[in-house]
Amino acid sequence: MTDPITASNSRVRQVEAIANGTVIDHIPADATLRVAALVSGTDDQIFIGNNLRSTRIGRKGVVKISARELGQRQLAGLALLAPSASVSIIRDYAVVEKVPVPVPERFDGIARCANPNCVTNHEKWTTRFLVVCRNPLAVRCWFCERTFDTGELTLI
Amino acid sequence: MNFRGRHIISIADFSREEILHILQLAGELERRPRPDLLAGRLMATLFFEPSTRTRLSFEAAMHKLGGRVIGFSDPGSSSARKGESLADTIRMVDQYADVVVMRHPRCGSARLASEVSRVPVLNGGDGANQHPTQTFLDLYTIAKDFPQLVAGGPALTVGFAGDLKYGRTVHSLVAALGHFRVDLVLAAPRGLELPEHYIDEARQAGLKVTQVATLQEAVERCDVLYMTRLQEERFPDPLEFDHVKASYRLTATMLAGARQSMKVLHPLPRVNEIAQDVDATVHARYFDQAGNGVPVRQALLGLVLGAL
Repeated sequence: MTDPITASNSRVRQVEAIANGTVIDHIPADATLRVAALVSGTDDQIFIGNNLRSTRIGRKGVVKISARELGQRQLAGLALLAPSASVSIIRDYAVVEKVPVPVPERFDGIARCANPNCVTNHEKWTTRFLVVCRNPLAVRCWFCERTFDTGELTLI
Repeated sequence: MNFRGRHIISIADFSREEILHILQLAGELERRPRPDLLAGRLMATLFFEPSTRTRLSFEAAMHKLGGRVIGFSDPGSSSARKGESLADTIRMVDQYADVVVMRHPRCGSARLASEVSRVPVLNGGDGANQHPTQTFLDLYTIAKDFPQLVAGGPALTVGFAGDLKYGRTVHSLVAALGHFRVDLVLAAPRGLELPEHYIDEARQAGLKVTQVATLQEAVERCDVLYMTRLQEERFPDPLEFDHVKASYRLTATMLAGARQSMKVLHPLPRVNEIAQDVDATVHARYFDQAGNGVPVRQALLGLVLGAL
């Protein structure tokens, strides 16, 4: 039986190629489905591969979205969920641009604070997180001043 | 250094120079009262949860500078109970008052208030997060007995004992001491130690940090001993609480081995952790410490209202 992980070494493409759109690669495997939920709209055609072998991060995920590029809000969410991922723009089956996920200095209105007693969980107010460490990514809530690993936060 | 219109939300917002400036002005106001400095100014105290010392000392500070005070100290009498948002309460109050002092059970509430208020907001405690005016008065109290804290000189040894995990006054003071030449001695029951990241930050700021096993050891090593209250709800086992409570209780007998100049601080209220026989010793400073809240808050009010 073919090991689906080692099969990635073959020339066979494990996730369908797209003609035009966006490929998010090198997603930590445990974040892949959350990334897919973040970037896909109801009518989008998306392809998901997960637990693929990666020399860089062990097991990785790939999400491909046809005919669309990511908006600012989705890029910010992606920075919180998978800051080490890469984003490629595909035109006519070719990569025209490949960049690391841009991580902003701060995240406004992107995620809920994980501190249940934070005022932003009790008042209608836009959350804000400031980046305090880039590798691994850690953010501090501007309001309650608690620091979180990005895995602790849920997107709004 | 211009503080006019500035909000006082978190000790992390202040540089060493700014802290020194505030302490210096507090000292001047204590030596030379300014009973008309804030005449005609109005301070609103919004206490969404009860407080004795903080509210009274803010009010005393405002009155002693000739200002007036409005506000509430019982959240049941505020419109928050009717479902008004905090932002709306602040937008209403800033129409009435020149400065707002606020205590609120939610972390970050003072920061939120500062984002909507047209007048300076002074944080009188936001949940478990910050209580910056307490930290300023703690520093002021230490500097009165040990001027080398601000003037330079040999490192001062400041000990912290009791619940170092949950006490916000401890966390803020440890962070603020990072601006000064201080060695830290920490004595905490198992499970209530100072969180690692505060220790790391203190070490990065150049402080020597020593953890000791008993309160007695801390007593003998310190210039200043900052005591905190142990709360029963932190202990799953009531028997363990009784045991720890007994071993973290400071008594006059234990002070026999202390330096003559050593001072004991406590943010109050104390319950059992400092025996009453300590009150009459030369080491007790906790009531003076509470009193120091007045000149420190006078300085802050004068600064943010542009009068100093």
